Amino acid sequence: MRRLVDARGSYCPGPLTELIKTYRNAELGDEIELLATDPAAKSDVSAWAKKSGNELVELKDEQGYFKIVVKVVRKGR
Amino acid sequence: MTPKRVVVVGGGTGGTILANKMVSLLRSETSEGKAEVHLFADSTEHVFSPGNLDIAFRGMVPASFRRREAALLNRRVVLHETAVNRIDLMNRTILYDSKVLNYDYLVLATGSVARPDVIEGLKEASHNFHTGQEDARKTWEALSRFSKGKLVVLTNIPHKCPPSPVEAVFLVEELMRERGLRDKVEIYYATPYTRAYPAPAIADVVEPLMEKRGIRLYNMFNTDYVDTKLRKVYSIEGEELEFDMLITVPPHRGADIVFRSEIGDAEGWIPTDRETMRYSNSDDVYVVGDATNIPISKSGVVAHLEAIVAAENITSDYFGTGKVYCYTGRINCPLELGGNRAVFVSATYEKPPTRQKPSEMKYLMKRTFASIYWEMLKGRLDPLFDLYFGKPYRVRVVEH
Repeated sequence: MRRLVDARGSYCPGPLTELIKTYRNAELGDEIELLATDPAAKSDVSAWAKKSGNELVELKDEQGYFKIVVKVVRKGR
Repeated sequence: MTPKRVVVVGGGTGGTILANKMVSLLRSETSEGKAEVHLFADSTEHVFSPGNLDIAFRGMVPASFRRREAALLNRRVVLHETAVNRIDLMNRTILYDSKVLNYDYLVLATGSVARPDVIEGLKEASHNFHTGQEDARKTWEALSRFSKGKLVVLTNIPHKCPPSPVEAVFLVEELMRERGLRDKVEIYYATPYTRAYPAPAIADVVEPLMEKRGIRLYNMFNTDYVDTKLRKVYSIEGEELEFDMLITVPPHRGADIVFRSEIGDAEGWIPTDRETMRYSNSDDVYVVGDATNIPISKSGVVAHLEAIVAAENITSDYFGTGKVYCYTGRINCPLELGGNRAVFVSATYEKPPTRQKPSEMKYLMKRTFASIYWEMLKGRLDPLFDLYFGKPYRVRVVEH
């Protein structure tokens, strides 16, 4: 299942909040597609995916925003 | 002629400001009996939530941060001090106390609820200042007894007032120093973000101060569960933190009424247009404040500005002016850093927060705000805010 998260225009608390909210409700194997305008989103999501053991599938500059796709391959207890 | 009815559900910052603004914008209509503004508040008292920080970390008296809701409303607002049982959007009705009230316009200002119970062990193991004045007071009592060991301030998302966890850890550090216990207490700050504050420009100010004050930062720490026996908190990223005292900002959820009425998403946030404040594609239902699903701060200033936008849009629709008011996404949240210094986190949908120097003046502005809040709810300060900050909306005109 692909879950779309539109966090364009969000700078505080920012796109990572929206991504993690969705991640907590997602199932293993789901993909989360995050749209963001916050330039910090690219490095934030990459760092978080690496640390949490989830997979960064796509990171793309679109016109005026970024598209970032994370696949859920690890969840907590 | 049956009067047109605007019904507001929720007596917090957004609902109170909106009801007052509504009767002001529809003054001639309400005085001639052509329109009515109703507000439902499930408590007789209105609490200034940021005061919970002062109660929990400065030992201030809870009563100084609450007032009777009735005293804050324009006398033309019809106040119902009762809980709403169900909101029926299909039939445009509110059900309460076995009664039914029809609406022409509905505003949902139902807020958010701090829910430590949604994470295993968190409620049992932690002290909270987001769960009400009484819990904030208990946090102060526990802090007053705490004299040595590991103290963890733990943030969970989503939560209201983005600055509050950072403010909490700085105030705790200051308190321990003032009590001469700083060398006996290790202080940790755990946050889900990649840095101490989500906005990089603000984190650039916060992180060096944390280092200077010996506050150890654990970033990218999203709570998985708390082991209440081992007194350890575990993150979904695979880390653990031991604690002797745990102070948390719990994850928040939408209000019960949203779940009961089935008008929100899985966490109880209501789908809202980020500019017009309209519910989904509806033209008679609006949502303001913490209750929305908009990815913006859940804070008093946002509730305030969204309430103004929603009130203007309802008025425009009422009189058929064709004007659509669009919220700019402006936020302006004070962040206290201890040592009588603060910064303001300011942004819009288009502009991220910028770096600024902590100052005593900003701290004094924050402290002063607590006393002018009650007047602000009545809308009396809006002309001043408009002068200083500009309007919180853009206007577009729709051709008929």
